[in-house]
Parts: sequence; structure tokens; C-alpha cells
Amino acid sequence: MEDTMIKFVDVSKKFVKNLRKSMYYGVKDVAKNIFGIPARTEILRNDEFWALDDVSFELKKGKTLGVIGPNGAGKTTILKLIAGILYPDKGKVEVDGKVGSLIEIGAGFHPNLTGRENIYVNGAILGMSKKEIDRKINDIIEFADIGDFINSPVKYYSAGMYVRLGFSIAVHSDPDILLVDEVLAVGDEEFQRKCVKKIKEMLKKNISLVLVSHNLTLVGGMCEEVILLSNGKVIKKGKPEEVISYYISSLEKETKNIVYASHGSIKITKDAEIMDGKILNKEGKEIYTINAGEEITFNFKVKFNESIENPIFGIIIKNENGEIVYGINSNWKYIKTGIFEKGEVAKVEFVQRMTLIDGIYYVSPAVSHHDGLIMCDWKENILKFKVISPVKLIGFANLCSEIHIHRNGK
Amino acid sequence: MTIIGLKNIIKLMKKVLIPEGLVKKGFLKNFKEMFDEIIQARELIIRLFIRDFLARYKQSFLGITWIIIMPIIVINSFIFMNKSGILNIGNTSVPYPVFALLGLTIYQIFSTGLVATTNSLVNAGSMIIKINFPKESLIISSMAHSIFDFIIRVFLLILVFIFFKVVPSYKSIIFPFLIIPLVLLTIGLGFILSLLNCIARDTTNAVSLLTSFLLFITPVLYPEPKGILKIFTKYNIISPLINAPREIVINGYISKPDEYIIASLISIFIFLFCWRIFHLVEPKIAERV
Repeated sequence: MEDTMIKFVDVSKKFVKNLRKSMYYGVKDVAKNIFGIPARTEILRNDEFWALDDVSFELKKGKTLGVIGPNGAGKTTILKLIAGILYPDKGKVEVDGKVGSLIEIGAGFHPNLTGRENIYVNGAILGMSKKEIDRKINDIIEFADIGDFINSPVKYYSAGMYVRLGFSIAVHSDPDILLVDEVLAVGDEEFQRKCVKKIKEMLKKNISLVLVSHNLTLVGGMCEEVILLSNGKVIKKGKPEEVISYYISSLEKETKNIVYASHGSIKITKDAEIMDGKILNKEGKEIYTINAGEEITFNFKVKFNESIENPIFGIIIKNENGEIVYGINSNWKYIKTGIFEKGEVAKVEFVQRMTLIDGIYYVSPAVSHHDGLIMCDWKENILKFKVISPVKLIGFANLCSEIHIHRNGK
Repeated sequence: MTIIGLKNIIKLMKKVLIPEGLVKKGFLKNFKEMFDEIIQARELIIRLFIRDFLARYKQSFLGITWIIIMPIIVINSFIFMNKSGILNIGNTSVPYPVFALLGLTIYQIFSTGLVATTNSLVNAGSMIIKINFPKESLIISSMAHSIFDFIIRVFLLILVFIFFKVVPSYKSIIFPFLIIPLVLLTIGLGFILSLLNCIARDTTNAVSLLTSFLLFITPVLYPEPKGILKIFTKYNIISPLINAPREIVINGYISKPDEYIIASLISIFIFLFCWRIFHLVEPKIAERV
């Protein structure tokens, strides 16, 4: 096809785990190449492993591809193959166009040279001519927004300034294909927003984007297609929502993390005790990561050490900053709970739709009686969960907006 | 610009990477590609040269005077050893300091060039694993430093010529052309040694040892020897490559043109052969560096 920018056909790439072996294999392969003997790259030798295994995909002009997966899955290796830094050991990589790579930007900066001098060096490495840089240098400096530091050696730069300058040079090199690898994680939020805005502007000019990130919201928001990698293999490929939710469900086991923390100066009588808590999905399966808008159940077991009349069961959900996002209890729902005998164990369920924005949340359940005057038990932050939403949202609540736009006032 | 022109550019940019793709390509096609790559990378080579140049002298008080300090010390110690009779250098047609400094200046194109090129890939390690660019540019820009140093040392040389009232032959104008084989030999060896250095860091040490050893077994600081040393110098291709340009400046003729021509041809062959190997191995550098 005319407009295919990147094409991977059954691409595999192997690496060596052992430094000595790497030296030995290096000499051997080079010697073979010199004498024109094929080095049989498709065979795995001792201490070698496939960092990428039979990966195939295609990226068309103006399209965006996200690559997600756990650390060491081979995401960066894909980018390096596209950039031409690495060559495949099996299969074929076709790249059509100038690649602008934001893989660890600022590589090639010399610490003793000023920002301005480094723009010329880095620009030349990225394939810009001096004329081109002369023309663009003001835009580059303006976008980097590092003020007078542009004339100081880059070794005096903060990490953020370093990245800003590097990013600015890379995006001004007018690539046809932009490779972005987690670099947006550095720098403050304002700069991140600026970067995303700039990348989106570039996308309008019909460039192609490959984005590698652990920020699933960013991937979901920017990419039209997502690849999930694990141990060098493509596990799933498709629409961002599908792949991301598949990834999340496969991650759930790893997120289990119960946090206990103190709960201030309220006197706890321990007349009743919260035994344990779980988050269950609709199918009754225990989960730790929740898709925004999903209906889930907080499930607590409460053991009564004394007999109590009309206890009140409640929960508070806090975000990572400790701000209360939501709170509810049985009393506010006008539920008369009745009398619980000493030794009885009750199961309390809170069923609700989690229309939250993405982030980490903590659940603190409590049991009280006498209209909340006597606190039997209060387990602060006993449960932790993560909410993932495919769209970017800010604030506290997810109001599940639909946006309609009617042109010409119709 | 016409649409056809634009299409051509796009066609040029298309890259297909397959395992050992370069090995499978034809011999001549490879050489054409190699030349094209260097020409395309000329601006990068200049930038890298400027970068390293600025970086080298920015945080230094003496700056480029360091370039001439080393030859001055070496020559003085030889003069001292000669005068005190520890070392008998024999007769030279011009005052010894002129003879020795001229030889050393030429030799240092080779020695500083070899050390710089050998380390060039390893020093750029972080850049190589993150960015794709023609790695030949690193070797060539390193060699350019050696040539720059040479030019600075020529000024020292001119001062020494004036001081000893030695008038160089008018044929000295071909001097710059006569050192080309030595430059090519250095780049050629630099290609291979820089690759070796990526695999084993022993190369750095071996090369600095080699260059100081070669200085003693090559007639640089002494005229053509007799006896046991002669066997060493006979098969040493660096020796005619240094002697011929020196003779042109001092005497106006080359005493053994046949040796010089053979050495030059060998140098050109080594250069092309090593360049080709470098080009074949280039895609693997990022994995091993």
C-alpha cells in the first residue's frame, strides 16, 4: 500500500543476557559477516532470549498506534527497530519516511555546551541541516521555554529543562513518523499538556505516531489502535478500549495491596470489628482495578463482640491526596438494621456504579451505633483500588458526559 | 519543486530492514551506499567536530596550547638524551630538533588519530543506543580532531624552522597530499579498532600501548637505523609514510619512492577493506556498545 508508513512482518529480535557471551557472540558474528557466512540470527544460542517474538503490525499515514505492556515486554525494542537503531534478527521491518524519535530525548547533548550550541548538535544528529536549524531555532527556544538558560551549559539544567529542550528539538525536526517513549512522564504537568497539544497538532499534519506509555489514559486518548505486548509477544491488538480493558483485567492480580493506616483520635470501642474487605465485580470475582462506570460491590465482614441495636455501616472513599470523594452509610439510606447478637458475623455489601475519574482510591469502612455517636470500628484505607477510564477527565466526579455538537445551529 | 522530485525524496527515505541485509547486498552497491552515506552525513560530521572541539577546550585554561605541549616535551627530552650521550641519534641533514619535530608532527596524525577514533564509538555509547545516525561520522569527526591538532602543530613547526634558519624545499607544497595515505590508514585502522573497542574495552589500552611502542620502532625521532632495528623498520609501512613527506620538506625529493608507493597502496586497501567491514557491522553496534 502507498500510505503504509511502518510495516512489521514477523519481526523477532534477540538479546544476550550475559556480558561475556555478548562479547564472544559479537566477535563470532562479525567474523562471519566479514567472510560472508550467514550468522544464522534466527537461532537462539545459549543465554540468548527473544526480546520480540514474531511481531507483525502495520501503521498507515496519519494514524496513531499505542504500545502497552509490562516492563520488559519489548515496547522500546519496537521503537528502536522503527528508528533503525536495531536491526531485526528475523522478519522484516519497513519504514517509509523520516522518523522523529523521542526515545530518551536529549541523547547526544554535551554537558559543557550551552543549550543553543546543543540545539545545533542535536538537530544535526536528528538529520536537520544548519540552514533548517537557523530558521527554526527561535521556535525551538520559544517552545522549550527555558528562558536565559538557553545560553548556559546544559549540565546546569534541571531534569525538566533538559527534557523540554530535547523534546522541542525533536518535534521541530519535521518527522513523518513520531516515536514517543514515556518521555512525557518527565516535566511538570503544564509542559506535559503542551507536549500533548503539540503532538496533536502534528497529527493533524498527517504524521504517524507510535506511543509507548504506561499511562493508559494517554494511550486511550491518543491512539486509534493499541498493541498489548508481554514477553516480546503481541497478546492483543485492536481498539484502545478493548485492549486496555483486557490489559487491566490481566493486571488485577498484581494490584492487590491492602493498606492499613491510622484513623485519628476517634475512640474505637471494638464492640464490633470489621474482619475483612473485598471488591467484587458483577460476576462476584475479586478485583482491584475498576473501569470507570463499572458496577461493583464493596463486601465487608463484621463480627459483633457485643450485641448492638441498629448499628450503622458506612464507607468513605478517598483519593490519593486524602480528599473524601464519596461517603455513604446505612443510616443516610434510612435502613433500620435491627439487633445483632454478640458473636454474630454480618456480611455488608455496598453496591454502586463507580463513575469516578481515573486514579488510585482508598476505602475506609466503619461501624457505629447510637446515630454514629459511638464508633465500634473504623478501618482506615483498608482497601485500595485503581480506576481506569478510557477518556481523560479532571476533578472528582465522572458525570458520564456525552457531547453533542450541532453545526449551523441546527 | 515538482511532484516527481518529491516522490524521489520519499523513495530515498524508504528503508527496509532485514537480518544481515547488508551482507546479502552486492559488493559495489555497498560501496556506493557507503559513499552516499558519508556525503549525506557531512553536516553531522562538522557538527560533531565542533561539539567535541568546544567541549574539549571550554573548561580548560590552557586550551589549544595543550596540543603543542606534548611534542615540545618529547623533543626536548630527546635533545637532552642526545646531548648527554645516553642516546646516540647520529647525523641528520638539518638540525636535530627540526628533523625530529617534523617527524613527530607527522607521526602524531597517526597516533592521536588512532586513539581518538578507537574511543569514538564507545564515548558516544549513549547516543548510539538511542539515536540512529551514520556511525562513520563519529570516526571521521574524531579523525578531524587529529588533523586539526596537526595544523596547530604545523605553526609550532614553522616557528622552529625560523628559529633554526632552515629553509624548506619549494616542493613542500605537495606535503599535504603526501600525508593523505597516512590519514586513510589511520581512519581504516580506526574503523576496526573502534568496533573492537565496542566488544572489548581492552582495545583502548592496547592502542595507547601500541602507539607509544610504534614511535620507538619507527624512524620518527631518529634517522633510518642500522642493525637490528632495521628489520623492524623494513616491514613497517608507517615508516615510508612518514619519511617521504619529511624528505620532501627537508630535501625536496623522496629517497625511496617505491617504498612510499607500496605503503600508500596498502594503506588505501586497508582503508577500503576496514570501512567495508565497519559498514557491514554498523547495524550491530547498538547491540554491543
